[in-house]
Amino acid sequence: MKTIPPMCPEPETGRKYWRSLEQLNDQPEFREWMEREFPEGASVAPEGESRREWMKLMSASFLLAGMGGLASGCRRPEEGFLPFGKQPEGYLHGGWKYFATAAPLRGSATPVLAKWTDGRPTKLEPNPLVPGSAGTDSQVQAAILNLYDPDRAIRHTFQGNDADAPKVADMLSGLSQKFSGNAGEGLWILAERSSSPTRARLQTALSEKFGRSRWANYEPVDFHVHRAAASTAFGAEVQPRYRLDQSKRILSLGADLFGAEADSGGMMRGFAKGRKPGGEMNRLYVVESLMTTTGGQADHRLRVKPSDVVRVAAQVAAQLVTGGTLGAALRKLSEGSPAPAAWAAECAKDLAAHRGEALVVAGYAQPPAVHWIAAALNEALGAFGKTVELRQAETPADTASLADLVTALNAGQVDTLVILGGNPVYNAPADLKFADAAKKAKTVVRLGYYEDETFEVATWNLASAHFLEAWGDARSATGTVLPVQPLIQPLFGGLSELEVLARVLGHPVTTPYELVRETFKDLASGEENAWNQFLHDGFLADSAGQPAHLSFDATRVLEALEKATPAAAGDGYEVVLFRDAKVDDGRNTNNGWLLELPEPVTKVTWENVVLVSPKTAKDLGIDASARAKDGQYRQFVVKVTVGGVSIEGPAWVQPGLADGVVGCALGYGRTKVGRVGRSAGFNAYPLTSSQSPHLARGAKLERVMRRHLVAVTQEHGLMEGRPVVREATIAEYEKKPDFAKHMDLDAHLDYVPRNPDGSIKNIYTSPYKAQPWTKSDINQWAMTVDLSSCAGCSACVIACQAENNIPIVGKDQVARGREMHWMRIDRYYSYDPDLPTKDETPAADPQMVIQPMLCQHCENAPCESVCPVNATVHDSEGLNVMAYNRCIGTRYCSNNCPYKVRRFNFFDFNKRQISYGQETGTLFFNVQSPLYHGPFGPNKYKETDWEVVKLVKNPDVTVRMRGVMEKCTFCVQRIEQAKIAVKNQARDSGNVRVPGDMVKTACQEACPAEAIVFGNILDPEAQVNRTIQDPRNYTVLGFLDNKPRVTYLARIRNPNPAMPNTYTEPDSIRDYERIRHENPFKSHGHGDPGHDHEPAGAAATKGGHA
Amino acid sequence: MSSAAITAGGAQPAKRSRSHADPQPAPPKLVVANPPKELEREPLVLNGRSHAWITDAIAGICERPMPKWWWPAFILSFGGMGMMFTLVAYLISTGVGVWGLNQPADWAWDITNFVFWIGIGHAGTLISAVLFLLRQKWRTSINRAAEAMTLFAVACAGIFPVVHTGRVWFALLPGYLIPFPNANYIWPQFRSPLLWDVFAVSTYGTVSLLFWYVGLIPDLATLRDRAKNSIRGALYGLFSLGWSGSNRGWSNYEKAYLILAGLSTPLVLSVHSIVSFDFAVSQVPGWHTTIFPPYFVAGAIFSGFGMVLTLMIPLRSLFHLEDIITTRHVELMCKVILATGSMVGYAYGMEFFIAWYGGSPYELYAFKNRAFGPYWWAYWSMITCNVISPHLFWFKWCRTTMWFVWCVSIVVNIGMWFERFVIIVTSLHRDYLPSSWGYFTPTWVDVFTFVGSFGLFMTLFLLFIRFLPAIAISEVKAVTPQADPHHPLGGAKDHHH
Repeated sequence: MKTIPPMCPEPETGRKYWRSLEQLNDQPEFREWMEREFPEGASVAPEGESRREWMKLMSASFLLAGMGGLASGCRRPEEGFLPFGKQPEGYLHGGWKYFATAAPLRGSATPVLAKWTDGRPTKLEPNPLVPGSAGTDSQVQAAILNLYDPDRAIRHTFQGNDADAPKVADMLSGLSQKFSGNAGEGLWILAERSSSPTRARLQTALSEKFGRSRWANYEPVDFHVHRAAASTAFGAEVQPRYRLDQSKRILSLGADLFGAEADSGGMMRGFAKGRKPGGEMNRLYVVESLMTTTGGQADHRLRVKPSDVVRVAAQVAAQLVTGGTLGAALRKLSEGSPAPAAWAAECAKDLAAHRGEALVVAGYAQPPAVHWIAAALNEALGAFGKTVELRQAETPADTASLADLVTALNAGQVDTLVILGGNPVYNAPADLKFADAAKKAKTVVRLGYYEDETFEVATWNLASAHFLEAWGDARSATGTVLPVQPLIQPLFGGLSELEVLARVLGHPVTTPYELVRETFKDLASGEENAWNQFLHDGFLADSAGQPAHLSFDATRVLEALEKATPAAAGDGYEVVLFRDAKVDDGRNTNNGWLLELPEPVTKVTWENVVLVSPKTAKDLGIDASARAKDGQYRQFVVKVTVGGVSIEGPAWVQPGLADGVVGCALGYGRTKVGRVGRSAGFNAYPLTSSQSPHLARGAKLERVMRRHLVAVTQEHGLMEGRPVVREATIAEYEKKPDFAKHMDLDAHLDYVPRNPDGSIKNIYTSPYKAQPWTKSDINQWAMTVDLSSCAGCSACVIACQAENNIPIVGKDQVARGREMHWMRIDRYYSYDPDLPTKDETPAADPQMVIQPMLCQHCENAPCESVCPVNATVHDSEGLNVMAYNRCIGTRYCSNNCPYKVRRFNFFDFNKRQISYGQETGTLFFNVQSPLYHGPFGPNKYKETDWEVVKLVKNPDVTVRMRGVMEKCTFCVQRIEQAKIAVKNQARDSGNVRVPGDMVKTACQEACPAEAIVFGNILDPEAQVNRTIQDPRNYTVLGFLDNKPRVTYLARIRNPNPAMPNTYTEPDSIRDYERIRHENPFKSHGHGDPGHDHEPAGAAATKGGHA
Repeated sequence: MSSAAITAGGAQPAKRSRSHADPQPAPPKLVVANPPKELEREPLVLNGRSHAWITDAIAGICERPMPKWWWPAFILSFGGMGMMFTLVAYLISTGVGVWGLNQPADWAWDITNFVFWIGIGHAGTLISAVLFLLRQKWRTSINRAAEAMTLFAVACAGIFPVVHTGRVWFALLPGYLIPFPNANYIWPQFRSPLLWDVFAVSTYGTVSLLFWYVGLIPDLATLRDRAKNSIRGALYGLFSLGWSGSNRGWSNYEKAYLILAGLSTPLVLSVHSIVSFDFAVSQVPGWHTTIFPPYFVAGAIFSGFGMVLTLMIPLRSLFHLEDIITTRHVELMCKVILATGSMVGYAYGMEFFIAWYGGSPYELYAFKNRAFGPYWWAYWSMITCNVISPHLFWFKWCRTTMWFVWCVSIVVNIGMWFERFVIIVTSLHRDYLPSSWGYFTPTWVDVFTFVGSFGLFMTLFLLFIRFLPAIAISEVKAVTPQADPHHPLGGAKDHHH
């Protein structure tokens, strides 16, 4: 159809143009002519043809048009795009680049390299150049999804109505002018913690310019306590950093070092370094109330009530600090400690024996007293300057707290409250009643990433930019200055914190880029080269705060300790309110990747649960064995009441939790959140208070006669005597380093028919043996996972999800056992088999082991031989590959996979509605789920929001449709890229072998513990060759003769033989012995085969070399 | 050979055998007494029914208007079939996830139903081919319907493995499962038992169809000849392929029938053996078992006979065919059920024994888990239905009381469905790594698709009895005494050979 160009609106001023004189004269005939759709002849009745004839013609033409419509409906949709008029320098369509930037979080930042493809960032990877860089955690990996969250704030608002950018700029400069007159009287700023030097500079400038303004930092989970305690102890603002890599003996006082704690990645890496047998192995003592991954890694774990941590800490400290008033104070504090005296004594002895190599860390959730005792202990152990680095704090000290702000608000002293980030209405301590107080401010200007709970109280709500959208700077955990480089223009015109602050300040420069450069001039130099180097490397060398050489001020600690008296053991339960491993304090509650990530210990997805110990569960009358079916748990709902405030959530019986303790993760139960996070969990913040933000005491717990569906990815937590994870104590290991190869049926294969070369005679000859020409002698890939290092943080799971375009499936589908993660982190408990099994006692204090499980890339892959269409086949380099195009989805491969690592697209998860979290019907009826309902269903995937979500996909990886099986590919796209790069470089030399360690899989790259090693085993230099030859190396289910290319390094524990709860064997080995009647360390005749054949793991390696 | 002389009315055979064995002159004529009454076999057609009566009774079913019960039955079945196809459309348009399948249990009701229906299909071929070769003449009154049942069961069975695939449109496209030369030089994977299934089931279906059709030809001609309107005449005429009942026609027909019986016989054993390979070839504890092929075949015959009884008992009473499908027929089928049921029971026991004796803790766990794990109820339902109920057939009352036999036949089929469910789901839901253990629960789509497949089955069966002779007229006539020239009541008494 011909389109009539619309009439151009006439410009108000300037020259006028006209089409014709009629228009110029603005004659009515002309107007009528213009307004008709078909100016020429169309509305004139035809002459000559009869009406009947006309109808015939028209119907024929309609029919034709209809057919045309049908035909055009089948054509692929047309998409308009603009070609480059001029090709930007260095830009290759479809190619990618990496930019060094940083992911700031809570007063620190993770240095990252952002992968940038076709104008948008798609993946964040750790920046290994930066000192102290230690992989990334799952939140950093998932941060990219927040960027493309269609539910983020996409507009600025004034009183709920849209406000455009100039209006916002006017308002901000208006503030600046307004407060210039009264030195900032009535101006309050509430900000999240930040390590940004630029923000620190602006904050200082603000306090100089508006002397009477006030600035409060607030984080619901605040790592500032570490600094505050150290500053108290040393009498100066110092920032401690814990060096687990320098520590041989570590005592955690309620610190979830590898999970919730600050710099958990760095600590994981440091710990893993000292965890390798050979050389002196480190030892970890953990005193905790919850069951955390740190507790799982512990050699000795003591579960105590949170209020008792201080007593245990004092008890240990009293062993080392005996003299003086401090010693007396400690002894007094330790009264009533639940720890056996020998436990504390031997622990202290062990720590003292490693003076200068021992470290004590108190958790962020602990009261200051625990931190001071930890400081006293560290001082006694000579830790400062060795295992605890102190450096001068870079950011200004706190001048006001949230409580001060609320007091000022209630007193009507706040004229304008500027909230920079955060969501205080949701997460402020309940006793402050922040929402009510905030309404008393005249104006609330709020910069927020979402239109969330705080949006309701804000007069002005400014959309915040993602850190990948705006310039900034930050400091890493070591204090090194990092650039925060944007990789994309703000998608929805968001503002950065720096810009808002600069405008409020009336700073002459307001663009974040200029602001950061200004700061950089002070930090380094104004030279272009230095700046370019900074951006290129992603850090500024030697920019960390200077090491502080201060003396420990015992008197200050004593003073502080004397003020702190531990609360008497009260009635009721103690509720631990902790930082969630996934959604953090609630900032990620609309991030589907994180919501669907199984919680590292409970494996619960999409929500939080009320953690109770088995004994507590029994007291409550909740059956310890939850009704578990299909990964679905219909859990009893319990009501937790503290001081008249109650919350309700599904109870979760957590082995290893201290009795009398209730654990509730923060960050869920958001009332105003995007579509993904809707109805995810319950809100635990009502139990928080400003005095005790992470612990509520005197709680009442009652069962509500209602059940709630909890979607869990791992239903069974026991190994059932199957040596899936193999472990030993260091003493056993030293006696028999290759013990892991002598477990399971592998150890019984003497009578199995063998080929002359010692390999097992299989029905099918190994494909590489049967057809040697199909095996590449250039590259062969293999992976090992060190179970001693892996703490189970699950960063790899999200890294894999981001790299490989893995969809999320929603709570309903997880409950049905259809999660799509290519990588799963199996968590097993093992109980002392000597304890009576009928009782809950075994489950009360289990040992925990973690095993990342992914496609094992078997050489004799059982999945390949059963696929009827050749969709899963072996490639020449040892990969088990999926041809998605070929897959018809019989799912036989998954049935035959002994590791159950294949994932099937039961629906078009990439075409489903965005609302995931909602609970949908029953197990039997699933019609209401917000899934893709086929062409006839009410699917809304065509909603424009999906266009935003799609941007996160990695363009190098296929997005799979429904009906297709998928699984880990060893990041084949990265392997191919490396091969191309090597080939380009090789030219005529013919040396096309990919260097052993050149390819890093996404999981390996993200892993903070460096547990995953991947490489080309044909390169003798490859690290993976060393790990395969490690005596600890073993193959899971090796007796099946599948010859996996993924092998595991057995876990070694390092118990202290002098401890009262020491053990000579891990519980899992004892359980194995109980069920299988064999033990790799005891000669049973059959349990210890001769060494005349190679175990399967080594055979696989050898096969790789052949 | 002397025993041969003691056959009923044995003068003639005795003479002939003597002439073969002994060329000496004939001794004085022996007079052999008729066997005692109690040793006489009950005739296969009772009440001395004439050939004309047989023709009228069977052909009349297709010629008279259907009795009143037929229409509600048909509408109900047709509705069930429609429901099944609607749900299949829902499944294909939306995704396999509308069923309750999940990660450890990637197969559940889909393959259970497939094996269940395929198993039912076994009785037809066994009755028509194996019993034919073994000269079991009692087969004649039930083989037609049993074969038809086989075909319809295979049709039901064929649907499930096709629609259970994630991308049905590719599963059906030549070049994926069907070997077809293509530009990529990709062939199906011949090591996969699923591919063997494709060949086994399609061969079985084809041969069964041919066998059934060949057997139908003389009867179609009978219907043609009796047709009272031209459309019937034309259609029956078309499908009876110009059958004239000539000697040559009969001779060729008998040969063809024998050849097809010979071809079908190994298929009885092969199809379910191959179906069992789907499991036996895998690594899954509980599946990886060499006993599966014979065990599956026995189970298939067991369930097939169950279904034949389920259909035949109402059929004979509703159409008053008690003289053709006699109590003896039912009793014999009950004995087959007893025999195969005992084999199945033996297999269950042997599986457990081998799981223990084999020494693999994974295998042993799988079997313990079957009996005492979360699916204990399915296992014990299976044991009750399949191991206990057939042993009731040791008692004559149980074998000859029709309502009772009918109830047991239903129980047998329930049990055999559970057997497949137990094998598939209990093995899958807990295999090697405890971390991936799960539980399967069906959804409403699973349930109603399966229920609907009975609608398809019954629709086809009801149409069959409406339009085709449900009993092989010519064959039944051939086993009547009057068709046997040597029978005292037989027709042809002149001894010219």
